[in-house]
Amino acid sequence: MSLRVYVIAYLIFLYAPIALLPVFAFNDGTIIAFPLSGFTTQWFTELTQNAALHAAVRNSLVIAACTAVFATILGLCAARAGAMSDFRGKKGITGFIMLPLVLPEIIVAVSLLVVLRQVLGLSLGNWTIIMAHVLICTPFSIAILNGAFAALDPAMEEAALDLGESRWSAFRLVTLPLVMPGIVSSMLIAFTISLDEFIIAFFLTGANPTMPVYIWGLLRFPSSLPVIMALGTILVALSILLLTIAEIFRRRGVRRAGGTDTGGFL
Amino acid sequence: MTDLITLRGVQKYYGDYHALRDINLTIREGEFFSLLGPSGCGKTTLLRVIAGFEGVSGGTVMISGRDMSDVPPNKRPTNMVFQSYAIFPHLTVGQNVAFGLRTRRDIAKSQHAALVKEALHLVGLDGYENRASHAMSGGQRQRVALARALILKPKVLLLDEPLSALDKKMREHMQVELIRLQRHIGITFILVTHDQEEALVMSDRIAVMFAGEIGQLDDPETLYRRPNSRRVAEFIGKMNFLPAQVTGIDGAVTLDIAGFGVTQVPHVQVPEGAVIGPAAVGIRPETLAILFEGETASRHETTATVDEVVYYGDMTYYDVRVKDVPEPLTIAMKNLIGRPVLEVGAQTRIGWDERAIVVF
Repeated sequence: MSLRVYVIAYLIFLYAPIALLPVFAFNDGTIIAFPLSGFTTQWFTELTQNAALHAAVRNSLVIAACTAVFATILGLCAARAGAMSDFRGKKGITGFIMLPLVLPEIIVAVSLLVVLRQVLGLSLGNWTIIMAHVLICTPFSIAILNGAFAALDPAMEEAALDLGESRWSAFRLVTLPLVMPGIVSSMLIAFTISLDEFIIAFFLTGANPTMPVYIWGLLRFPSSLPVIMALGTILVALSILLLTIAEIFRRRGVRRAGGTDTGGFL
Repeated sequence: MTDLITLRGVQKYYGDYHALRDINLTIREGEFFSLLGPSGCGKTTLLRVIAGFEGVSGGTVMISGRDMSDVPPNKRPTNMVFQSYAIFPHLTVGQNVAFGLRTRRDIAKSQHAALVKEALHLVGLDGYENRASHAMSGGQRQRVALARALILKPKVLLLDEPLSALDKKMREHMQVELIRLQRHIGITFILVTHDQEEALVMSDRIAVMFAGEIGQLDDPETLYRRPNSRRVAEFIGKMNFLPAQVTGIDGAVTLDIAGFGVTQVPHVQVPEGAVIGPAAVGIRPETLAILFEGETASRHETTATVDEVVYYGDMTYYDVRVKDVPEPLTIAMKNLIGRPVLEVGAQTRIGWDERAIVVF
């Protein structure tokens, strides 16, 4: 009995703030407080008319898409090297690559800002954010793709080689299709992380803010809070959708490679 | 038979680890050749050197008279059946078998279907073209792997422990089928195995490997009857060892065997360069005999006490103690009609034959 109470309290603690998002997104009133004053879709309508927000969302989508592609390519190379070849210092290097996973983002953000502005004297823009996001997303990509490669029999590629294919075509014809679900999963995760990342984007953004930075800017105007709630609702729905798709692909990959599932992010 | 594969002074290092030590070996066209040895002896490494998956640190690999040492696996006339079979799970059985045809420009696309059909027929999987490969059983996957490797008509088929994942019944069945297949298509098979019985059953010749070296290379019968060293004798079948003294080497070799007495054996049973002094004598369990009531030894006999009895149905294995022999001797007896099974502690006579003796 007490265990059931604990579980319910735990779930409320985890999800109550998120559950409140859609509640106030559809509430007819500018003040975020109970009691609710009525149902409206006004805030969603306002979302569609805000040109500055659209620019920020577009920015974020471009950054997230580029990050997903680059992080996954880097992750693919690292995971393949880790799975298929043995070299001196492999363990140490793998650990070193995964380090950004636990580095505080604020530290990464500040040091990147210093390097880019003070040391290299470059101007900030979307591409600086993409670089930083690739940095923090690559460990996630490696972790996901490591799983995909671990489930893969190393003899598969050798068999293709043995049957006359070159190294590259053996990779393309056998390894790539077998780890493809992992690649899709990695891209979706990296995309999601990049899309709502704030600290680094806040430090490195140029003239055009990303969506999280824009939302943060809106917070100064209490009257726009319900609009943020509406935007938040959409984002949560989108995140859940993307993560679910990513997990479906990851599980399919494990099955296809003939391994047993040993867990993942979901 | 002409020579197909010649290895000359092949060396393989992994860092400081010496995996293959000066391997010299000739494998003939059309023979069933086995690399046998305990795990870690280098047999799989040697197979992978022949396939081209591992480069050599020294020496040359010749196939059909061509130096292949630096030729990658996709350019070698060898095909491999992997221990895990490595069936591509995202392709159907037919696509798996046809995989090797992709790069063969000399074979018209229109012939592919017929070749796949022929290869599947060869391994007894007629009509399996459109099956999903990941839904096949272990035995079927192995057949797919065989068909996939054989469709390219390689000069050599390499088999890396192909039967180790199958259960006993299936394994024995596939042993016979592989022999039949090899005789039917007539190409060279090179089998890697740690199972001495499998090697004896299937091979024309066997190379027994220990710690990166070939300990003995012979046909199965010679290997079993005349092992050239104690480690080969211990690895293949069961062998009793008795301490002995070589007391004379003129003409025949005179031996004084602990518990058995003095006898003479011809030089073929003694390693080259034997000298007068202490030696070890090996006797296979089936060449010794328990002498039951009324039976007499064809050559020599001695007395013994039964120490252990293991009943196998068709056979009974006795461990017996003989005076002056430090270790109990194992004797394998067929359970013929009317033959009793002795009890532990029973006194018995045992017969032995000096022609079955190997001296180390």
